[in-house]
Amino acid sequence: MTTAISADRLKALQQAHPQVFTRPLAARLRDWGLWAACFALLGFGLWWINASPTRIWDGLGKLGFLVRFMWPPSDGGVFWEHAYAMMETLAMAFLGTVVAAVVALPLGFLGAKNVVPNWLFHFSLRRGFDTLRGIDSLVWALIFVSAVGMGPFAGVLAIAVSDVMVFSKLFAEAIENVERKQIEGVRSAGASPVQTLRLGVFPQVFPVMLSHLLYFFEGNVRSATILGIVGAGGIGLQLSDRIRINNWDEAAFIILMILVTVAVIDNLSRRIRTKLIDAAPQV
Amino acid sequence: MLELRKITKTFGQTIAVNNVSLNFPPGQMVGIIGRSGAGKSTLLRLINRLATTGQGDILFENTNIGTLAGRDLRAWRARCAMIFQQFNLVNRLDVLTNVLIGRIGTAKTLPVMFKHFSAQDRAAAALALDRLDLLPQALQRADTLSGGQQQRVAIARALIQNPSLILADEPIASLDPRNARFVMEALRKINQEDRITVICNLHTLDAARAYCDRIVGMAQGKVVFDGSPDTLTRQAVQSIYGDAGDADVEESLTSTLGAHLPIPAAAKQPQLADAAY
Ligand SMILES: Nc1ncnc2c1ncn2[C@@H]1O[C@H](COP(=O)(O)OP(=O)(O)OP(=O)(O)O)[C@@H](O)[C@H]1O
Ligand SMILES: [Mg+2]
Repeated sequence: MTTAISADRLKALQQAHPQVFTRPLAARLRDWGLWAACFALLGFGLWWINASPTRIWDGLGKLGFLVRFMWPPSDGGVFWEHAYAMMETLAMAFLGTVVAAVVALPLGFLGAKNVVPNWLFHFSLRRGFDTLRGIDSLVWALIFVSAVGMGPFAGVLAIAVSDVMVFSKLFAEAIENVERKQIEGVRSAGASPVQTLRLGVFPQVFPVMLSHLLYFFEGNVRSATILGIVGAGGIGLQLSDRIRINNWDEAAFIILMILVTVAVIDNLSRRIRTKLIDAAPQV
Repeated sequence: MLELRKITKTFGQTIAVNNVSLNFPPGQMVGIIGRSGAGKSTLLRLINRLATTGQGDILFENTNIGTLAGRDLRAWRARCAMIFQQFNLVNRLDVLTNVLIGRIGTAKTLPVMFKHFSAQDRAAAALALDRLDLLPQALQRADTLSGGQQQRVAIARALIQNPSLILADEPIASLDPRNARFVMEALRKINQEDRITVICNLHTLDAARAYCDRIVGMAQGKVVFDGSPDTLTRQAVQSIYGDAGDADVEESLTSTLGAHLPIPAAAKQPQLADAAY
């Protein structure tokens, strides 16, 4: 039960601690200013891209048109060709992810403060990771398609290159979070630094790395379909071909195929990841 | 023979170890006691060189330990095996591999990268595990064992280092009385059968009295007592534990072993003890 506070008391409290009762004017003005700025920015953006209800309405009409063309989806009699292309996309994602992880492994160790305790080295390497991370795999794919030609190889390179830096950073962070006691046990037995990394650090971080790898594989299956569209082969290439020649029923079939595959992969990978932390293979 | 000559170690403002001189003849079992922060751990870590050297000299068979580096330093670490309060096993490796880490000082780097150890090393590990009644658990992951079992794995690891010296930093502070007794028994047996010097930090008086030939008392980084257990009088105890002494120094209060239980009888049945853990 609460007892009411007398008016005098209240007044005294209000005078003594005004900040408890009303926020300072400056803070309130700042909040309102921020909200107003956000809405202004949103309104300006919509105006800038010529957004209007009529355009949405027209677009919806055309979309309905397309959907009618899409139904019923059809494999165009070349189901196995699509399946093969899908496999190619999965392989592209898998290879790209694994290559990225393998390259990132030594980089991760180098980037960890507790492995190379030189802050200048650490700082420049980490900034390097961050900078290269800014380039999306789609950009890399465009570059590699020009460099090594169309096909899945360009896709693998694009995925690998765009993920190496993120992996390096994540691996470095995992390595920085290892338990010191376990490492000290190995060191106290006379292990060299490299041996300590192998037997004291690596077993601790391996499950974390594997879990990151799986998570990125999930995402890369999705990116790999997009990469196909810019020429890196696989199911994306099939899809863009069908759309280009207005074969909407086949396009719909391919889209459904992608949806199912992605869902299956996500599900499997999530299950494996949750099991991993407990039951990781000993390395 | 290990000799510490006026060693001092400071961390910033704190003097963790203050002008300590001690002599450890081979084969002795020494208990180091003292309040938290007295510098016991630091002393052991200085000997094993896990802590960087401060002032003073540490001599082992006329080699200056303080100046060792690289391969020699690692060889020295292998020779003075370390046992920790928290066991410090690699959780995700199996028991066998954890024990094999004891051979890392003499192993070549490349095979270790593939966790490849010689048949000799594996045999030594198996024998050590058997000695500590842990052979059946050899392929279990280390973190699936009980605390007492983990500490015995750590002792097995220490054993296959073929050490001249075992340094144990509060090996029983994280264990229940039964397991504590069994671990102390194991250390004592190794000390007597293999003539390995054991230097053991202990939180409690009764463990030190029960198992050690000699007790060293530390307070604020200094050695304030050095003698056999029967010369550890009430006054001596008070000088070690200081004002906090008085009531605290009641031996039953500083007990991890359940001081009034007969020690050897219970310790002879490790399986039973572990089943109860
Ligand atoms: N790495 C370190 N950095 C800074 N200070 C340290 C470090 N290691 C130990 N000290 C300090 O040195 C002093 C002695 O610590 P030490 O761990 O040797 O004590 P201890 O006798 O082992 O205590 P406990 O019984 O609690 O384990 C303490 O004041 C501690 O805070
Ligand atoms: Mg300590």
